[in-house]
Amino acid sequence: MSLPQSLRTSITPPELEFIASQQLIEIIPLIAMEKTAFISGAFGPLQPPRRAKTPLWMAINLKLKKKCHIVAPEWLSVEFLQSRLDEELSEPGYSRLPFRYAEVSKVLLDVASDDIQSTDKIRSLLKDLREARQAKSREGLEELNRSELSLSNLSSMEINEIRPFFVHAMGILTHLHRDASTED
Amino acid sequence: MDNDYFSIDAILAENQKVQCKFKQRIPEMGHLGGGSERDITPLNKRQIPIWLAYIIIYSDWADFDIPQPFSNKVRNALRAEPRSVRLSNLVGAGTGWYVFGKTIMDMLGDEQGVEMSEMLVTTFKGRLVDVIDQAQHFAALGPVGGGGGGGIDSAPQMFREGLDTTERELFVLAQESARRMKKWYEESSGGTKRVA
Repeated sequence: MSLPQSLRTSITPPELEFIASQQLIEIIPLIAMEKTAFISGAFGPLQPPRRAKTPLWMAINLKLKKKCHIVAPEWLSVEFLQSRLDEELSEPGYSRLPFRYAEVSKVLLDVASDDIQSTDKIRSLLKDLREARQAKSREGLEELNRSELSLSNLSSMEINEIRPFFVHAMGILTHLHRDASTED
Repeated sequence: MDNDYFSIDAILAENQKVQCKFKQRIPEMGHLGGGSERDITPLNKRQIPIWLAYIIIYSDWADFDIPQPFSNKVRNALRAEPRSVRLSNLVGAGTGWYVFGKTIMDMLGDEQGVEMSEMLVTTFKGRLVDVIDQAQHFAALGPVGGGGGGGIDSAPQMFREGLDTTERELFVLAQESARRMKKWYEESSGGTKRVA
């Protein structure tokens, strides 16, 4: 392959953001639009002031042109994230979060910060969550063995971050291992 | 780092020399040891590279000792504190301690081989967390690889310089992925999609 070594093992974060942007999100449109066909499907009609569900990429686009307001998804609120953070700090496993929460939350906080309440608090909660989960992955690294690894409830960005060296390290451990019975 | 015929790591590892004690007399091969004798007499010790030693040992013409990088002294030091041993000093630059160890391990009998494998595995796992930690720390410091970063206290730097080649590969992988994440978190999504 002609990709550089580091790109052969994982996807880049902007690519993950792109994939996450296909999720549907609710918006309050400010303009009217008929049911229009896009490559991924037909969306609309947009009739202000009724809410509509559109893909995230379209919502961002409209928002940047100031043609809609975005309704924050229910997990992007202080109460929800705070309860998850408490769970994260008290229990050994990872808490359940939406699979692509990192990408969606970053995009929404950048683009639609006026549509979300207490963005500073949310940003700091997200940062704490990320650091708590990273600390758990670090602990899991010490238990690494060559045969299997099971980390439930990791989000897609976190998986992508640890995949290259986890997989490589497990490969090395497989090489270094030797069974007492099978070798001659 | 596999037994693939074409694997560069395996080829480099096999270039390491190992101390062999010959059991039989081999005429006209004295030049192998660099000495001036014509023949190799029994009980003569020579340093032979592994790719040659493998056949010689397999055909039972010589025995070999466990080479210095895996001696008991090293083994005890590793058991005490895996992170303080400088693996890159034990073997020359270019090969790895782990790859060399694997090649030796393949030649050993069962009991010694398992012991060796345990030593390799525990050392690796002991050092792994530190390798990754340092890689993530270095993600912030620009594109220079493992050796840079003056002004940091010397213990992590010495650890980094003592990293084996396999560990360096892991370091680079972890550093790259950490750097990409950092960059992504810092750039704004709104900027790139702005339409006039």
